[in-house]
Amino acid sequence: MSKLKIYNLFGPNLFFVFSFLLLQSGCTSTTVDEFRQGQTGIATDESVVILGRRQGNEYETREEFVGCVGDRVSSGQDAITVIPEREFVDAMFPWFEPRTAPMGISNLERLMADELVAEQMEKFGVRYMVWLDGFTETSGRTGSISCTAGPGGAGCFGFGSWEDDSSFNARVWDVKSRQNVGTINTDASGQSYLPALVIPIPLIARVEANACSRLGDQLKAFVKGD
Amino acid sequence: MKTDFFFQHTKSTIAGLLILLVQGCGTSKIVIEGQYPSPNVNKIPLSIGVVYAQELIDFNYVEYSEIGEEEYSIKSGQSHRDLFDALLPSMFERVVVLDSVESAASQEVDIVFLPRIEEFQLALPAKTKLDVFEVWIKYNLRINDSEGNGIADWILTSYGKTPTRSMRSVENSINQAAVVALRDFASSFALGFAQVPEIRLWLSQR
Repeated sequence: MSKLKIYNLFGPNLFFVFSFLLLQSGCTSTTVDEFRQGQTGIATDESVVILGRRQGNEYETREEFVGCVGDRVSSGQDAITVIPEREFVDAMFPWFEPRTAPMGISNLERLMADELVAEQMEKFGVRYMVWLDGFTETSGRTGSISCTAGPGGAGCFGFGSWEDDSSFNARVWDVKSRQNVGTINTDASGQSYLPALVIPIPLIARVEANACSRLGDQLKAFVKGD
Repeated sequence: MKTDFFFQHTKSTIAGLLILLVQGCGTSKIVIEGQYPSPNVNKIPLSIGVVYAQELIDFNYVEYSEIGEEEYSIKSGQSHRDLFDALLPSMFERVVVLDSVESAASQEVDIVFLPRIEEFQLALPAKTKLDVFEVWIKYNLRINDSEGNGIADWILTSYGKTPTRSMRSVENSINQAAVVALRDFASSFALGFAQVPEIRLWLSQR
């Protein structure tokens, strides 16, 4: 359908409202802060493991987000080998469970004193351990949509919107030097809309996906020491 | 004729409503299923006999709705057997599955292990208003010597949670939270067994 046909179908006001919403749906603001505490760099035979913090009572860092950041770091031209979280946690069992995982670099130092742990870590070739902590919160839900179905057909009418806010931080530990080498904080937010004129048209702000890609890119550059 | 028509439609309407009622009030049945890794711990030089009591396999927890109707039925099934099959051979020199406590002497085991679930709790997001499914399991782990004398009665509580996900069913989320709780139990058991004061004392006296 051409632009003119859409314009004629919905009228000038609705056309501009839709155009505005479509433009807005792509708008997610993301802020990335990096705090470096030590030198970094990685050899080709070394790898990175990215783990999610799951000690909090009210939330836990989602496996999907951890996987997304891992995929971002392990792809592209300057890809780094990333060990999948589940594979690492299972192989290191029971040392990286929510109750037993090291909370600080001194705990890692103590853990590495165990022969079996050090041996497994050596097998994986882990140079950096990255701890991701955070979540995405949805707030400000407004509007309503009602749908009806009858013999002549079905349809929805209404408007809904909400805001997503993602806040994640990545702490990077150098396993070789047993040092905390830095932290990367990512905050992203965006407004999503769901107008419904017969058919609901979701205009979703990709907040968590943007937080993942920005954090992944920054993490990759950080580990490489760029 | 008119009466027949009325009854015919009334019957089908009632039947339809009954089907809807039964579907709406049905209990969701969950049998805990998962995979468990073997622990990276130093083996304890002991031969252990384990008794899987029928009540552990048949364990069934029922979660009731706010109006007192059965909402979820959670069965332990083979989950603990699978868990201990992965856990015990990595922790002890020799593992023997016993039919009863009495068969311990003939199997020449050093200790007999009788795990039992004492309490099970479930917290659903609809009730807690949190975005997580939570499971608590309280165990009573009885450890006897080969002659049936009690060494320790170890009470261990495990916890598991899983975040709510739009594409995952409630049943799947409850199972996932229970599997995390079982993993938590396994990690506490593997790291804490030799630290239990009564067991430590018994080991030091051997």
